Amino acid sequence: MEREITDCYIGDLLSWVMGRAPEDSAWLTVMGNINSIAVATLADVSCIVLVENAALDENARQKAELHDVTILLTPENSYRFAVKLSALLAE
Amino acid sequence: MRELSLNVMDVAQNSVRAEASLVRITVEESDREDYLKIAIADDGCGMTEEQVQQVIDPFFTTRTTRKVGLGVPLFKLSAEQTGGSFEIQSRKGVGTTTTATYVKSHVDMTPLGDINSTVEILIRCNPGIDFVFTHSTDQGTFTLDTRELREVLDGVSLDTPDVLEWIRAYLSEQTQIITGGADNQ
Repeated sequence: MEREITDCYIGDLLSWVMGRAPEDSAWLTVMGNINSIAVATLADVSCIVLVENAALDENARQKAELHDVTILLTPENSYRFAVKLSALLAE
Repeated sequence: MRELSLNVMDVAQNSVRAEASLVRITVEESDREDYLKIAIADDGCGMTEEQVQQVIDPFFTTRTTRKVGLGVPLFKLSAEQTGGSFEIQSRKGVGTTTTATYVKSHVDMTPLGDINSTVEILIRCNPGIDFVFTHSTDQGTFTLDTRELREVLDGVSLDTPDVLEWIRAYLSEQTQIITGGADNQ
């Protein structure tokens, strides 16, 4: 992944996230479906972080590849992951 | 979306853009049988099978201002994430019917929201189009048919404040009857 992360956003209600996730943020969610990829594209986030090892649908993986959306996976929950990311962003 | 009534608004606006003259909005719900079904049927220009596939694809939009269109895909997702189903039946030159079925008791069920306001806004903003709204529950059913209203109104437009006030009151009163006075939010 080459894109810089400058912010973080957490949310699972896609219609809510699409108008609110800041550009260049890491978006933490459990929604790994094709619509999430569309929301990531629309909001222009740096990456999607699927927390708690949430599943990524196969057609979503294909669309992510096609539209160059980076997807990261973590066993941590949103809160714990965001705390760690916050420390990294403060550096 | 946070309320299904917003999805209804979105799809009904597609019907308006498809130059429908009649839009039927049906909400059918049953606690006994644990389902909620929303159908929006229009007599607009209709779509080809290819166009239907395009509207359920979040990466397809006819807008030029952005590259994704999420109205219908999110409606579909809302139904499927409760274990329900979603279907669009359309024929070119005949019309389109969009149907979303929900498992009502599912924990990820999105609330129906203020469907009466959605219907009233649609009538107010499109006085030239007819709407037939039917809502049924285990307790009963009611229908608002603007074609019947027009007959009684004898030339008075549907977007007249007094008419809209009557529509609001009628929807609210009928909803109370079929929900047993329960809060419908």
